[in-house]
Amino acid sequence: MGIGVFPYIVLSVLVFLLGALGLMIRRNAIVMFLCLELMLNGVNIMFVALSRRMCSAEGQVIVLFVMAVAAAEAAIGMAVITAFYRVRGGVDVDRAQLMKW
Amino acid sequence: MIGWYIFFLFLALLILLSAVGVVVMRHPVYSALSLLFNLCVTAVMYLALMGAPFIAMIQVIVYAGAIVVFFLFVLMLMNLKRGEYEDKMGPWRIVLGIGAFLIFLLQVIALSGKWKGWVHPGSRGVGIGEISRLLFTRYVLPFELVSLLIFVAAVGAVALAKKRL
Repeated sequence: MGIGVFPYIVLSVLVFLLGALGLMIRRNAIVMFLCLELMLNGVNIMFVALSRRMCSAEGQVIVLFVMAVAAAEAAIGMAVITAFYRVRGGVDVDRAQLMKW
Repeated sequence: MIGWYIFFLFLALLILLSAVGVVVMRHPVYSALSLLFNLCVTAVMYLALMGAPFIAMIQVIVYAGAIVVFFLFVLMLMNLKRGEYEDKMGPWRIVLGIGAFLIFLLQVIALSGKWKGWVHPGSRGVGIGEISRLLFTRYVLPFELVSLLIFVAAVGAVALAKKRL
């Protein structure tokens, strides 16, 4: 059976945590979206590893859905960032204070 | 057996290092290129260790080919200062050229049929047939809804980013 499923789960959790860390400490909106993709990638590693462990293709089908949703999310996010850049003149999320009070 | 562990550790080290690179790189373009590397190494892991060749192909085509290039387009349109981009790339050009050549060489060797590949023998591999059978029977409603989602996202992106409708 080769190496088990546990190393993949550790790797997946580490990638997910690095993405979450980047989402928290970076202030550039585009880099935050890149970190979001990193988190989705970590989840995909977990899905494929468990799909292989359970000898079924369902995890890989879910990975396809995750990729489609990631594409839609990237399109909407970049449109929001473009509109934000046009209004505020930068992609720093600290400038987003319209809803702060 | 121990060889697969070493291979896994090598790929996992590359994935984690490039993930750290996405977080700590100061220039957003370097972050995006680091994410590109991360996704490609993950695709290699899907292909060679985890028995998911279809997902590996889709990962390279959709993630690396479409989404990261899309991010790079938006970065190019926005806040790339001219000087800090051109000066730093100078001495790296030779190294990057050699790397691209080695990748091309690997592709030629892999396509020539002599090379059996490093596919893990324990993993049976889930082919595209099984995935599509599930996708068009049990998951057919979510599949159609995802196509609707992408359509709505495209229309919404145009509506958000356009200056005047």
